[in-house]
Amino acid sequence: MKTAKSTPSPGLVAGLLIAGLMLAATGGVAHIVNEEPWHPVPAAYLRSLFYANLKPIPWHRIASEYDAPLREPGFAGKTVYELLAPAQAVAGIDHAAAIRRAIAERDRGALYDASTRAVAQLVRSHLERAAAALDRPAVARSEVLAAQRIYRAFADPYLEAAAPEVYRHLGRTWLELTSSIGSPGVLGAGATPPERQRFARASSEVLAFLRDNYEVARGDAGRGRLMPLPAAVDCGAIENDGVAGRLAVLPPGSNVNDQDPLPLLRLNFEARGHDERDLFMVAYGDMVFDSPRIFGEPARSLGIACSTCHNRSDVNRDFFIPGLSHKAGSVDVDGEYFNPRFNDQRDDPLDIPTLRGLRFTAPYGRDGRFASLRDFVRNVIVNEFGGPEPTPLVLDALVAYLLEFDWLPSPYLLPDGRLNDRAPEAARRGEALFNKPFPGLGGRACATCHVPSANFIDRQVHDVGSGDPSAPGARDSFFDTPTLINVKYTAPYFHDGSLETLRDVVEWFDDKHRLQLTPQEVDDLTAYLEAVGEAEEPYEVFDDENTPFALAWAELSTFLSTLDTLIPARDATHALLLLDTVGPDLRLDASAAQDRSVIPKVYEIADAVAAIRAAIAAGDWPAAAARYENYKSLAELYGPSLR
Amino acid sequence: MIRRTALFLTIALFCCAALPAAPPDAKPLVLAFVPQENPEKLIGDVDAICAYLESELGLPVKGYVTLDHTAAIEALRNGDADVSFMGGLPYVLAHNEIGAQVVLAEVYRGSPTYRGRIFVRKDSGIKTLADLRGKSIAFADPISESGFLYPRDIFAREGLLPRDADLKSFFSTVYFAGGYQQAIQAVANGFVDAAGVSQFADLLLRPEELAEVTWIAESDLIPSHVVVARKGLDPERLAAFKRAMLKLNQPDYRHLLKHVYSPDGYVETSHQAYAPVEELARAYGLLRTDRGG
Ligand code: HEC
Ligand code: HEC
Repeated sequence: MKTAKSTPSPGLVAGLLIAGLMLAATGGVAHIVNEEPWHPVPAAYLRSLFYANLKPIPWHRIASEYDAPLREPGFAGKTVYELLAPAQAVAGIDHAAAIRRAIAERDRGALYDASTRAVAQLVRSHLERAAAALDRPAVARSEVLAAQRIYRAFADPYLEAAAPEVYRHLGRTWLELTSSIGSPGVLGAGATPPERQRFARASSEVLAFLRDNYEVARGDAGRGRLMPLPAAVDCGAIENDGVAGRLAVLPPGSNVNDQDPLPLLRLNFEARGHDERDLFMVAYGDMVFDSPRIFGEPARSLGIACSTCHNRSDVNRDFFIPGLSHKAGSVDVDGEYFNPRFNDQRDDPLDIPTLRGLRFTAPYGRDGRFASLRDFVRNVIVNEFGGPEPTPLVLDALVAYLLEFDWLPSPYLLPDGRLNDRAPEAARRGEALFNKPFPGLGGRACATCHVPSANFIDRQVHDVGSGDPSAPGARDSFFDTPTLINVKYTAPYFHDGSLETLRDVVEWFDDKHRLQLTPQEVDDLTAYLEAVGEAEEPYEVFDDENTPFALAWAELSTFLSTLDTLIPARDATHALLLLDTVGPDLRLDASAAQDRSVIPKVYEIADAVAAIRAAIAAGDWPAAAARYENYKSLAELYGPSLR
Repeated sequence: MIRRTALFLTIALFCCAALPAAPPDAKPLVLAFVPQENPEKLIGDVDAICAYLESELGLPVKGYVTLDHTAAIEALRNGDADVSFMGGLPYVLAHNEIGAQVVLAEVYRGSPTYRGRIFVRKDSGIKTLADLRGKSIAFADPISESGFLYPRDIFAREGLLPRDADLKSFFSTVYFAGGYQQAIQAVANGFVDAAGVSQFADLLLRPEELAEVTWIAESDLIPSHVVVARKGLDPERLAAFKRAMLKLNQPDYRHLLKHVYSPDGYVETSHQAYAPVEELARAYGLLRTDRGG
């Protein structure tokens, strides 16, 4: 049960590097520290390369990155092609035309060359304008900062991974640039003149680097994955052990970690007053649910775990990866990106389903294709996310944990699924409609499929007309009847999230199945769905005690309690999986601490955890046991103060 | 008073649609916003806050995004703007030069004060300020209290670099990175040995970067950023504006704070609270001593 504030685990693994492009949430802090948003040009460029690495390549998405009007404040209504126009002045190249041609010809090598050169020359054009404006420091400053924001497309994390020395050298060169433009001061106070020579020196260095590395034609020959790496890496002039080729980076606009508000997690054993630490399988499964390490690449390096999508047993409604998601909260889990072997070649993102009440909702999958939860979960791990075959313990523990997911109590439902007397009047009129057979539904009622006394499901698949059959008359758009419990909080609706509100669903049925509802009936049926779908306390409520970090600490320390079982059993495989998941998470979660003075304590605990890991890796079980005791006393000492 | 060439280079001007209720001839209240990191980011925000203020004040409200502090202060001087938002240092300069008045102070993490810090990489072996002799440092911007003046003054306080000494007599290289994020990342990424910036700057680091950075010294308390008004703004208007801004502290309105640089709220303040900034500005030759408010 990872919280929204959790962040990707660093690639401790096999030299793989972490996604660098998504800055962590800084949670509403001050202009003192506003995060730099992406400039639209590097953002469009990086997304286009990301798309060009998918199969089949979504060319329409690439085209619209460049020619759709932008919505970003300050650029609204413009297109990326228009923003590239100033770059033409640099060398007379019509970048828009070159990129358009590459897209029209579906030539990914040409797209790579043309767009990389365009970005580089846009940086160049801003630096040239800064040079021309050195006697107006405020103008020069904004030009240099603009250049730097666009240069970011190449720098971090690509150049950083491919050529750390060059990256640092250029980082200092940019500091030379920002420092040599002088300062306008305020009303003349504190004004400093530009240092022209220093500026010229630094600027020519950056420009030469761009010219030699990003303004050269490289074509598609032999190149697998397209990445904004310097040509010097391609041709081997910079040695990097192929590290850069294995970088896992999500494009700008991705959001896999932030979620606000955070869904409330309701676990059955907790509701019954048991402590997770007494339930080994559940606690271990909880950890596995949070572990990117059960997956293959790139999910593992990106820190993607079950909880990334099914956050707190519910859904990460903000989850979005350009090219894989068609809207927030959706993802295509059988495409090229996560496991090329499992690529079904169809661009078919699905709305991520909630897992609440999972033990009652078999069969599994939007189309109900798996009867067994264990089979479904194995398929997720091995096929969807390319992980190694999980051990029986990993699978069983995960299933044990999933089976604890409860729905949130509804204020209006009786055990048999009827509304109680506290339900609003309109909802109770809607209840009658819900149970009324309609000719348009073939004489069935809504309740025939969403059986109120059976958790609003019938455990069947139906074609209600929400799908997209492969051919007229083809019988391949059946979907599993979803429950309506807590449905008020699971928008958008249907397998593809195509309907935004419950009213939309009612209107859709009315329209598609000719129910001939009056406007009043539409209102009533909607009110009924809202009442059935209500939850008393849908979201985690944070306060001074229950902070996001306190929550993260509670779960990480629960995971670690499984060492009570694993160390005596000398189970190195599972102890290491646990420690490799928790150790990095602990360090990363530290940045979410409300009280920043506790951060060093968290690092100290993380060091203690790392020490246990080292002992187990070395096969020294007595030392592992002793160090585990040491960790426990630290946890006891610091735990209560960790907020 | 030195008059400069018109630096009032407005990047963009946005007018919120006047409220039908507003008297048609009412002079609009004009807000000048100084871009903190990049000019585009604020523009969306300007609309939202103007719309709120229009409905609260029953007046047309306009917002400008200016090129820099000087432009905003010039606008206050000329009456082209009534209100602006800025750090303590630009404020004391504006107070001295053009009699700008402080309206409210921003609150962060429960306090209208914060500190500057000297950040280093954990693995650098640098433990004390003295270890930074002959090393490189990045500040955010020379006209910034937390991004330069206060962190710089720590070295004077510790007797390492007198206030009137050349920075180069202590550091090998001094950079102005252009913003907090650039400065703190310069340390995290190993471009420089240290950064002197706001205590909050490390929030801008990715978690894995944060784990690599620590701080070794802290400045005196810095009074927070302020909302300022031009000299001579109609007191009634000013009072109404202040009430509307203080209302943003209430739960129902808090979400609007993100449109004014995202403080946690506002508190009343006085010029007196900025006396330490004034003193420091004077000590570093940024203020002429012969001028009163
Ligand atoms: C990248 C997002 C993502 C990740 C990571 C992910 N899932 Fe899912 N999950 C989905 C989507 C999308 C569906 C709907 C897929 C379908 O119907 O085939 C789904 C469906 C499910 C279902 C079926 C629910 C139902 O009621 O039919 C279960 C169970 C499930 N996931 C469990 C897991 C577990 C366990 C993990 C970790 C091992 C996991 N998921 C990881 C996105 C994700
Ligand atoms: C023949 C069986 C059947 C009948 C009758 C039926 N439904 Fe459904 N319902 C389904 C299926 C199957 C889906 C899933 C469709 C999809 O995922 O594309 C669904 C989806 C829904 C959803 C969206 C739930 C979600 O989480 O996405 C709602 C709400 C809903 N139905 C309400 C109703 C109402 C109201 C009626 C009566 C007007 C009704 N249903 C009649 C089978 C049925």
